[in-house]
Amino acid sequence: AAMKCVIGGAQLRVFGRAIHAIARISDEFWFDPVEKGLALRSVNSSRSAYACVFFSSMFFQHYCWTAVSQPCQKEKQLSLPCKLIIKSVLPVFRCVNVLERNVEKCSISTNPSDHHITFQLLCRHGVVKTYNLTFQECDPLQAVFAKHMCPNILKVHSRLLADVMIHFPTSQEEITLSVTPMKVCFKSYTEEDTDFSRTMLTEIQLSPEEFDYFQVGVDSEVTFCLKELRGLLAFSEAASVPVSIHFDRCGKPIAFSIEDLLLEASFILATLCEAEKEAASPEPACCPRPWDSNSDTATSKKPQQKGNTPSINSAKPPSALAKQEVKNIPRGTERDVPGTAGAATAKAAGGEATEAPYEKNSYLYKYCIFQFHSLFFGAISYKEKEAIGDTFQSLVTASDTEEEFGALQSSQV
Amino acid sequence: MRFRAKIVDLACLNHFSRIINTIAKLAKTCILRLTVCKLYFILSDKVANGGASMWCELSQGNFFDEFQMEGVAAEHNEIYLELVPENLSRALKTAQNAKAVKIKLTNKHCPCLSVAVELPSLSSSSRIVTHDIPVGVIPRRMWNDFREPSVPDFDVSIYLPALKTMKSVVERMKNLSNFIVIEANLSGEMNLKIETDLVSVTTHFKDLGNPPWASEDGCQSSAQDRDLESMAEACIDIKKLQQLLAGQQVNPTKALCNIVRKRIVHFILLHEEVSLQYFIPAVA
Repeated sequence: AAMKCVIGGAQLRVFGRAIHAIARISDEFWFDPVEKGLALRSVNSSRSAYACVFFSSMFFQHYCWTAVSQPCQKEKQLSLPCKLIIKSVLPVFRCVNVLERNVEKCSISTNPSDHHITFQLLCRHGVVKTYNLTFQECDPLQAVFAKHMCPNILKVHSRLLADVMIHFPTSQEEITLSVTPMKVCFKSYTEEDTDFSRTMLTEIQLSPEEFDYFQVGVDSEVTFCLKELRGLLAFSEAASVPVSIHFDRCGKPIAFSIEDLLLEASFILATLCEAEKEAASPEPACCPRPWDSNSDTATSKKPQQKGNTPSINSAKPPSALAKQEVKNIPRGTERDVPGTAGAATAKAAGGEATEAPYEKNSYLYKYCIFQFHSLFFGAISYKEKEAIGDTFQSLVTASDTEEEFGALQSSQV
Repeated sequence: MRFRAKIVDLACLNHFSRIINTIAKLAKTCILRLTVCKLYFILSDKVANGGASMWCELSQGNFFDEFQMEGVAAEHNEIYLELVPENLSRALKTAQNAKAVKIKLTNKHCPCLSVAVELPSLSSSSRIVTHDIPVGVIPRRMWNDFREPSVPDFDVSIYLPALKTMKSVVERMKNLSNFIVIEANLSGEMNLKIETDLVSVTTHFKDLGNPPWASEDGCQSSAQDRDLESMAEACIDIKKLQQLLAGQQVNPTKALCNIVRKRIVHFILLHEEVSLQYFIPAVA
């Protein structure tokens, strides 16, 4: 597909901040223009952080997209997104604050035939800066996440989150968000082998009243990477849109999203999984073996419990949310066979959740499953009509990272 | 051993923060000594510190609205803690508009100074930010290592020039040399000198004034026999001097230094509520 768009001065700052926010996730990002707008996506190498920013065509002063028919193989989409190296794009939007003052508008155009994307900044005094960047065609990347299935939802202005994060040192990698219906607490994350005699710990307690929307269905304590989040906070401040936080118990992803008429963004981060304290078995009963795609039929909730897998011994009583969880098919591992089972599952879940959200602005994942989709695993069944594949196979996800962390966090549940 | 203190007044809090910032610039780790009336920040002259030592003393009543402590024992009603002042500085940094700051000694995973900052919020209940700063408790048998240093038997005592001026001079000299010579005489003259293979630079200050020290056991009377023009000099690590000057956030009421020829330079910076002494040994 070919696309040409123009970003007006005022929106440049927002766009630039989006690029910077995505840059914190990975070195490359997916540039995916579609008829309705432009999507930018990124995922980090350990698949523990995913970002997607979608600018609707209304965000731009001018947006024009034409499908170009090309001979393509069956599995490929009609319009392939392209991958760009962030480092090449960042200089275009360096000094975002200054951008607004000096640049009148920015035009972006793609030229699929010679694999170029051109960024052109039209600045004051007739200066025009042109950046021609090559892109690689690549597999589409999308993740879907069941936001509306999350028991815990907080909504707050980004200013508040920024005021909270300022108390943590910039070197702080991970923080823990702990909620009960009575209070909200952000604190420095500590591993079991933290040397407390050398580490300064910070904790911030907030009252639920400070949030624009506060729903806590299940007490939970989730730990995620702060660094990846900071970009989103700066971006949402530039866009002046409140931030919604959707999450569940530890181990399940946490989504930070913003949405208004012109744009939507979601940053989905994996959270650390806690070990089962009461694990009777010598086996580590905890996270790293989440469910197969097959296990969705079980009414289990925590990775530790589960039907099919005899190796997991410790069981926790299923909570009231167990039923809901069934539909939450979180992550499989690389070792899972992304076979038809997965597809079936996804479809089933898709069937349930394909409601109104889909028609609206389907790029942003008001949808069920935190899964990645990649041609690489060769299991796409692509339907041309639906831009978002709801028939994705589960992919490598956070579970890998969680293993690395080896989290042994004490359970609050 | 118990300690709890509270600051409610914003001006006191800011002043206290500034002092902590100054200490943090001078020492990576230091000793905090608590007594009923005073707080001391001490850096002893161990080799690890590069030989420089520091003694900073403040009256708790000038800063804290509440201050309670119980030392290790009744006859030794003091607490000595080892801490990283940068941590304390960081904890106080975001307390600019706090409603109150409480500091107390706790023992969670290890002995800590817990700094709880109560911040205003949009809702009826305040936001509370707690920082747990790990500390090491110094046992009583080691307290002797941290006694107040005595004023050395100096050759010259002189008031310092405006710290801002001195700082900018030293900062530029730092780019040229690792060592600086401070020399001064009893006629109110001071020179800062650096000398390398390529260049030597000297900055001259005059009319600085020499503080009158009460004469004790005759050591000062010999100074009167001394030539008023003769310079006493010491060559010191320029970085240490620069750290001292850069850390000053407020102009002191009095600033002076005592020079022991080729041995040590003793700086004294006095503010209304806090005094800071810093010793930089001369290099061979």
